[in-house]
Amino acid sequence: IQDDHKLSTSELEEKYGTSTNKGLSSARAAEILARDGPNSLTPPKATPEIVKFLKQLVGGFSILLWIGAVFSWISFGIQLAQGAESAFDNLYLGVVLALVVILTGIFAYYQEAKSTNIMASFSKMIPQQALVIRDAEKKEVPADQLVVGDIVEIKGGDRIPADIRLIFTQGCKVDNSSLTGESEPQPRSCDFTHENPLETRNIAFYSTTCVEGTATGIVINTGDRTIIGRIASLASGVGNEKTPIAIEIEHFVYLVAGVAISVGVIFFIISISMRYKILDSIIFLIGIIVANVPEGLLATVTVSLSLTAKRMAKKNCLVKNLEAVETLGSTSIICSDKTGTLTQNRMTVAHLWFDNQIYSADTSEDQTTQPFDQSSPSWTALSKIVTLCNRAEFRPGQENLPIMKRVVVGDASETALLKFAEVILGDVMSIRARNKKVAEIPFNSTNKFQLSIHETDDPNDKRFLLVMKGAPERILERCSTIMINGKEEPLDSEKAEAFQTAYMELGGMGERVLGFCHLYLPENEFPDTYSFDTDSMNFPTSNLCFVGLLSMIDPPRSTVPDAVSKCRSAGIKVIMVTGDHPITAKAIAKSVGIISATSETVEDIAKRLNIPVEQVNRREATAAVVNGMELKDMSLQQLDEILCDHSEIVFARTSPQQKLIIVEGCQRQGAVVAVTGDGVNDSPALKKADIGIAMGIAGSDAAKNAADMVLLDDNFASIVTGVEEGRLIFDNLKKTIAYTLTKNIAELCPFLIYIIASIPMPIGTITILFIDLGTDIIPSVALAYEKAESDIMNRRPRNKRKDRLVNEQLAVYSYLQIGIMQSVGAFVTYFTLYAEQGFLPSTLLGVRVDWENNAINDFEDSYGQQWTKYQRTYLQWTGYTAFFVSITIQQVADLIIRKTRRNSIFQQGLFRNKVIWVGIFSQIGIALILTYGLGHVTALNFTPLRFQYWFVAVPFAILIWVYDEVRKLLIRRYPGSWWDKNMYY
Amino acid sequence: GLILLFYLVFYGFLAALFTFTMWVMLQTLSSDIPKYRDRISSPGLMISPKPDTALEFYFNKSDAQSYAEYVSTLRKFLESYDDSKQSENINCTPGRIFDQNDVAVKKACRFNLSELGQCSGKEDKTFGYSKGAPCVLVKMNRIIGLKPEGEPHIQCTSKEEGMVEINYFPSGGFIDLMYFPYYGKTLHAHYLQPLVAVQLAINSNSTKEEIAIECKILGSPNLKNEDDRDKFLGRIAFKVQMTE
Repeated sequence: IQDDHKLSTSELEEKYGTSTNKGLSSARAAEILARDGPNSLTPPKATPEIVKFLKQLVGGFSILLWIGAVFSWISFGIQLAQGAESAFDNLYLGVVLALVVILTGIFAYYQEAKSTNIMASFSKMIPQQALVIRDAEKKEVPADQLVVGDIVEIKGGDRIPADIRLIFTQGCKVDNSSLTGESEPQPRSCDFTHENPLETRNIAFYSTTCVEGTATGIVINTGDRTIIGRIASLASGVGNEKTPIAIEIEHFVYLVAGVAISVGVIFFIISISMRYKILDSIIFLIGIIVANVPEGLLATVTVSLSLTAKRMAKKNCLVKNLEAVETLGSTSIICSDKTGTLTQNRMTVAHLWFDNQIYSADTSEDQTTQPFDQSSPSWTALSKIVTLCNRAEFRPGQENLPIMKRVVVGDASETALLKFAEVILGDVMSIRARNKKVAEIPFNSTNKFQLSIHETDDPNDKRFLLVMKGAPERILERCSTIMINGKEEPLDSEKAEAFQTAYMELGGMGERVLGFCHLYLPENEFPDTYSFDTDSMNFPTSNLCFVGLLSMIDPPRSTVPDAVSKCRSAGIKVIMVTGDHPITAKAIAKSVGIISATSETVEDIAKRLNIPVEQVNRREATAAVVNGMELKDMSLQQLDEILCDHSEIVFARTSPQQKLIIVEGCQRQGAVVAVTGDGVNDSPALKKADIGIAMGIAGSDAAKNAADMVLLDDNFASIVTGVEEGRLIFDNLKKTIAYTLTKNIAELCPFLIYIIASIPMPIGTITILFIDLGTDIIPSVALAYEKAESDIMNRRPRNKRKDRLVNEQLAVYSYLQIGIMQSVGAFVTYFTLYAEQGFLPSTLLGVRVDWENNAINDFEDSYGQQWTKYQRTYLQWTGYTAFFVSITIQQVADLIIRKTRRNSIFQQGLFRNKVIWVGIFSQIGIALILTYGLGHVTALNFTPLRFQYWFVAVPFAILIWVYDEVRKLLIRRYPGSWWDKNMYY
Repeated sequence: GLILLFYLVFYGFLAALFTFTMWVMLQTLSSDIPKYRDRISSPGLMISPKPDTALEFYFNKSDAQSYAEYVSTLRKFLESYDDSKQSENINCTPGRIFDQNDVAVKKACRFNLSELGQCSGKEDKTFGYSKGAPCVLVKMNRIIGLKPEGEPHIQCTSKEEGMVEINYFPSGGFIDLMYFPYYGKTLHAHYLQPLVAVQLAINSNSTKEEIAIECKILGSPNLKNEDDRDKFLGRIAFKVQMTE
């Protein structure tokens, strides 16, 4: 860390070889630019596109399919050398498998790229200009051309173009919130005020904004060497955790691949020991792998996730990383910012006190009137002070906008007062014009008040009106009377007591309180020609008349309390992490329900029981407000205890670095943590979190870069809708996977029975691919549109370790029950077809070798007829088609039963999800096209099929449906029973 | 324990269901005639003997061992055509389809081995292999209900001209219509399919050369012999190579 803030101007000039008047020479600047590089942050190293693509080609099941393809080519080579006629079949199969991998790879890559592109648009920024002195002239140069030693000038509204040591300032304030999280603008001066360069006032940091005033400074750091640059590189150092859904999918891929490989190897050994040729055994192995791998599933999952991502984007959650869609659903702790996320991020008048009474004001987002009683003359007086003693103004040209949406020039409190007055009185600017201002003392930190003197709008009243506002205790000091119901009454101790009580009460609600007083200057002493001098203060500033108090707060967004209670019923803990004062933080936490009405903190209990804080049993307190200062001295163990013991936690006065500690603490509890953030300094925490959520409006680019998700409306409630979508997609992916896995058994069984019983091959490898990548795709995506079975926001978040996407029950139920039923149905069709063509089941057993022998062209069937090889092959293809059709028909039943896991289909509504029906029709449509449209393309092995064979499997399809309804019925009837435990997936 | 029991019951039920469905399905089938015969609308041709290696005959005419297998195959194949086995068969009217639709007990037509002449194995026990004129029997696949039209006959050609002289028994390679239609294994137990013997008198100059022969069924409009994909539909190609 540099010590530039300690150096004097001349030392700085010497150090950087510059001059405060002339600046650098252009030549020198170019030299330094060449040395240091442009003044911009190096974007995080992106993975090269080709690497991303190649990753898609080897991820998931691709390896298995590649193995299948290579085996196919090997057997093609061997068969070709042996001169076998069917050699080319294996070549094609290998090519098809490779194509499947490449196409699904391209698809996944495209999906990934699409969601990344949405984000890329965020980082595009308008090139910034900086006013710099070079060659003794003021010049506008692009900010990225700035170099160390440049003299730059800054004015209110500018973004600070680099780290700057200030050498001249005038009323300069900067908004450091993106760096430190402090929402209050920080004053800047040329004075060295603190050892720590981050705290000293004479340095302004890159990417912060100058709110008001002007300043000139010397650039001391550029690009990645700026403080922000260092934090950004720190964030990229924080490892990205694997998302829960990625872990689940990996688990699932291992499971399926494990089954595929073990079944493959077992049957490889069996076929070898049954004296099949090695080459044949290898071909069986390929078939088993292809049958076992759900080729289309990963693409389907991607599509389902991106559909949800789209749906979430409509609800203002923009998902950067597709997998984050589900992460949000498994979130168990949300660490939320206060300002802007839970609150509206604007000061609003919340309470008034006049006539010895507290009035509440409407703080909602779209207020157009104020309901409190405005009949008292005291209010008239107060409203006048509020209107006049205020420097804030609306930017012109916004007359048609709602008042609350108008842009105001002025600080937060004055803006609040201006809007408040505008809502009640209307057209504040014309009121001010009618009450011409003759003198003014702006607010400063020593006086702690603001004062102005106005002519009155009453033509008969020639008196001047002095109005004043400021810190309540300071204002009260200057008053000798107080207005009650429009009448001035002496300010006795009783009334002062009433004031104190009101002040404490408002302050206790975490609100910023301002006092208002006025004085009509006597006409004889101050005639209308009187010249007021604010320096000599030739007017009274004491013995004024106290009128009232107004308190302001950044009020919670109106949707937040509901969202917080939804989180609560969804078993999600909401922790507030804010840089604000504990009292304010607690007040907001209470008003949005993060701290519920009945729960108490340790301090509350101590106060109630009137005992010291140390004696309170910490476990009795459900809520906790932890100060950043306390957090600093805590051991990790103590932090864990707090996170464990209290269900309602607010962290106040926390630094952004502490946010990271809190996130890590939550993750140690095994929680899936969502973190919201907007500042650059939040980016390490955003990265560390399981899901980082950046604010779309207030968020800095660094935060958006580090986050997995962007909240377009900065609204906490949007997170909750996101959680709901995330949970739904997890449930629906379960259904999709269950649906997809089922038919793998119906595809695998033919191979096993073919090997063991030596029957003619019931289904071809290519045919299997047509199911996996043809008929099944749209239906499995359609399950993503399924509505939730019950209120998913009323159950606890899933346990990462226990609630797996693909659990044992799901695999077993799909594989060993429904899958087997499907196989039986398909085999019945198969045997029926062969029998009706002349090959009774008894004839089929053990015929494989002769059946497949090219030289046998007088193969006898059960009726004494003789078949040539081609006639048999054609019949075999018809068998493939029949088997395919049967699986398709039964997959329709499978699709319908997968709509629900627990409820009856009739409870869920058979027709509510229209997309399912699109799926069913597409499934049957594709099957019809393949069978009758492409039935004459030899390479595809489909043949036009007699129409009745479409119906052979229908009873089995109905059986599947009935069986599953019974299963669900028993699950609902006997929760927790043996059946429930084994049959619910 | 319970889970095993469950699966036992579950699979037991499925097995029973499967068996039952298959049984029902089999009940719907006739034992005499398959429900559909559309996949074999036209018969394939096949030869006997059938060498193991892709229909290629290799033998040495002076080495009995080299063609012993062909001879024994032929002998075995013709056993069922022996007169003693044809006692129940009747003499049918040549040249006419022998329709027995109305008859409950279907009769089989007699096929006299003598029709095969030199290839009947009666005069020449080696079926011409020892003389350099090997016999090959060409037969047409049995298809239930097939009634050939016209005058079907087998005609074989050799690609290489002058290497081989081809003789047919019965002469002209005719397949008599009286052997049709076939009524299936159960109804037509004694049915014998008509044979055409092709004797390939190999020119003495052409020994040691591979002679490609293609036989086709001709003369019948409803017997296909030029299917692109099925190389055995109404035709058959084989190779003969003889050494001395």
